[in-house]
Amino acid sequence: MNREGAETYLRLLAEAMMRGSLAPAQGPPWAKGPDGGRARVTVAGLALTAVGAVDVETAEDILSDFDLAVNVRQLHGLAGRGAAGTAPPGTAPPGTAPLRAALSGTVPPGMVLPGTVPPGTVPPAIGPPAGTVSAAAMARLTARIRSGRSLGPLTRAGRLAGSWPAESRGWPDPDPAGPGPADRFIPVGLRVPFHDEGISGELYLMSFAQTGSGARFIAAWGNRALPPQYQMGLPYPDLIPLELFAVTDDRGARYDLAFTPGGGPEWISEISVRPVPPDDVRWLDVTAPGGPAVRVGLEQQAPAAGEEPEVTAAKLSPGEHLLIMLADRLLTVAPEAGRDWRRRRPVMSPGLLQAAAAGLGDIVAALEAADVLPPLSPVPARLAALCASLGIGGHGITVAPAHDLPERWLSLLAHYQRRKPDMAQIRDGYAAVAAALPELDGIRLALLGLDNTEGSSSLHMLATGITPADHPGPLGVDLDFPLSLWLRDSGGRWHAARAAGWHRAGGERALRLKLVPPLPRSAAWIEVLAGGQSAEVRTRLPLRWGYPA
Amino acid sequence: MTDGPNDPWFGCLPPCEAHVPCGQGRHIVRWEAGTLRLLSHPDTEGELVLAALGGEKARCVEVAEAWARHTGDLSMLTVGPRGPADEIPLSWDEVDAAAQSSGRVPVPPGPSRAAPMRLASPSIPTSARAQAQRQRVEQEMARTAQRRNDILSLLALGYGFQVRLIGQVAEAHASPPEDQLARVRPPLATAISARLAPVAEEWIGIDPDQVVVSLHRGPGWGSVELAGRGEQRRLLVSLPGGWLGRVWAAGLALAGRHLVVAVQRAGWPDARVLALRAPGTEPVPLDVHASQESPASGGLDVQPGARDAPHWDV
Repeated sequence: MNREGAETYLRLLAEAMMRGSLAPAQGPPWAKGPDGGRARVTVAGLALTAVGAVDVETAEDILSDFDLAVNVRQLHGLAGRGAAGTAPPGTAPPGTAPLRAALSGTVPPGMVLPGTVPPGTVPPAIGPPAGTVSAAAMARLTARIRSGRSLGPLTRAGRLAGSWPAESRGWPDPDPAGPGPADRFIPVGLRVPFHDEGISGELYLMSFAQTGSGARFIAAWGNRALPPQYQMGLPYPDLIPLELFAVTDDRGARYDLAFTPGGGPEWISEISVRPVPPDDVRWLDVTAPGGPAVRVGLEQQAPAAGEEPEVTAAKLSPGEHLLIMLADRLLTVAPEAGRDWRRRRPVMSPGLLQAAAAGLGDIVAALEAADVLPPLSPVPARLAALCASLGIGGHGITVAPAHDLPERWLSLLAHYQRRKPDMAQIRDGYAAVAAALPELDGIRLALLGLDNTEGSSSLHMLATGITPADHPGPLGVDLDFPLSLWLRDSGGRWHAARAAGWHRAGGERALRLKLVPPLPRSAAWIEVLAGGQSAEVRTRLPLRWGYPA
Repeated sequence: MTDGPNDPWFGCLPPCEAHVPCGQGRHIVRWEAGTLRLLSHPDTEGELVLAALGGEKARCVEVAEAWARHTGDLSMLTVGPRGPADEIPLSWDEVDAAAQSSGRVPVPPGPSRAAPMRLASPSIPTSARAQAQRQRVEQEMARTAQRRNDILSLLALGYGFQVRLIGQVAEAHASPPEDQLARVRPPLATAISARLAPVAEEWIGIDPDQVVVSLHRGPGWGSVELAGRGEQRRLLVSLPGGWLGRVWAAGLALAGRHLVVAVQRAGWPDARVLALRAPGTEPVPLDVHASQESPASGGLDVQPGARDAPHWDV
């Protein structure tokens, strides 16, 4: 890695942008003037910090000096016009360049990258303030009552506690304990109906996971009948009387269940089992009030011959891996860029996708300058081809587009280029699936379930070994989940996964990944492809679907 | 032979003066032979002692302190002018207005003497931590504001002082120790590139974006060569960090349609330089003579601008 080359590149880019900012403005809005220059320097800086070629402080200093240099040249004359000492609109005050909060500089002014927080705005609160229910929440609640859907948080604690969006960052993993060789991840796929004093419904147990951080079920739940207090906004008992559930093992030992606030839809929950069952327990009987005992087998079955996860060395450079994550990002945000983006080829006007791709050429050049992207790497050409296929112009990649795109990219592009790709309704459902993947770039992942909810598919995972990044990645890349994760369904179609939320679960992270496009209910199995810098892992897993009553 | 590393870098730079609003009047600040002099404050040390005891610090003294704080500040290479066409004509009124808009923040020397005495109270760790955190933030804000005010004040001295400060910063880092090379080379190479690119455009008409600069180390003056054609054409330049102070800051970069790469015999207004007629050629010695359109001093509003920069003829 050439750190000196990386820093020099970033400084020279800033210099070129400053030279350009002083010249008459040309080009698209995000490329014009100091704002455009700053955005390009920020994006390149974030790419170089993401691969470790430039430290955050150095990148911030460069950006700070750039701001100062631009501002002092624009300060002259403002005093006489009554705006003395104020920075020109859209430029940061001299001496400040918070790269760690620099998402505001990665997008054109006034534009919001799909899946990111709008620049300069405070992210909305995750939930209503404690003790209150917002109008939107009430509306959602009412809608679910009418449709017979589950109602949201399961307990008061769960209702008032927050989850963390994918953008959250900054909490280091306190405890390295997590999925390990002695852990067990069991697909369950069983319903547990319950009925108690006007409340009735069922739990659908997707999976059971037992790690160093504890034991838990991943469950979906739904209510058929609700107490009248609920609809009147009055205090009400918990929607699932977990304290009345009885859990016993094959030796007669009893366990308690407790909800853990989750990071996904409110009706998908993590239910911890306390105390942690001994390793040699063979099954648990879960008995709900008013329902029969449901037996959950805990004996882990070895994968059949030929079904073990397949690990292949990848040997990607850090730059190639970052570009692949950028490609994943582009592919997964495309549907959020507006319903009519597909009709804009060739691109005549700027759009959100253009914003998401602006600066890719600078990133490629920066990574090459840092010697973390081989000059003959095929990835930049593939990224250029991807941009062309998505109708994205102005990305700045200078190499000719490649003809050999990865199969999964082609699959998603084919999906987008169908006339009505969004019309197929996805039925709500939950799939029992559980498996631990081999360690990848120091990260251990375990799949704990899938759900289709309101037309969107989510993959639930448990992860350990993730080092929280203290700064954002370039163009919205999530450095807190530094892997490329795809699913291929039994129909041969690929689905990209993008981190949509996570929360801490002991020393682990419970992740929710959004799948693009959603998984059809016809999928009988999935092949999971997790790609890191050093290797990629493939494993094929059967799906056992369950549907809300 | 070119002037050696032990020769003063400012041999081709004449004295330079500016008027600074100080107290009720305007005082002359003078740069001469690499040193800033406060002609109206003969006892600067004494004034600093008085200021430490609570007296008001003279503006001239503040400017001199700011100068001293930034003679090694590599950021000045980014902020300062790229050439006469990139003049930063800040006035003192604009400096004052900018300082007022952000609030003049005093230097954080430690606990304020003016803070009222308080009765001791039981220690509350959480409160103490919060207070310490707040103090850190305030100190950081004070440092940021002071740095900004410093830089604005130094720029308000005018183009003549700006280029001399850039020269001094470049000279301070021209021969860094081995363990500092990686830190110093990127900003220094960028600074040369930023200032050589417009000169090269004037010299041979090349696009400034096609100038690629690296730092030359070791004996000799470096190299300047053309490579490629069309859009791929590049002017590959390798010059030592000292070029900024010894050549560029003195306004010597281009003399008689030659690119000056080194000073062979420094002097004012006559010097001998090594210069290239074209890329890829060997440098030739040239005797050059400087002239200035207007003196860099005199009047009540002296601020040496780019038009006052010396012009060198062969």
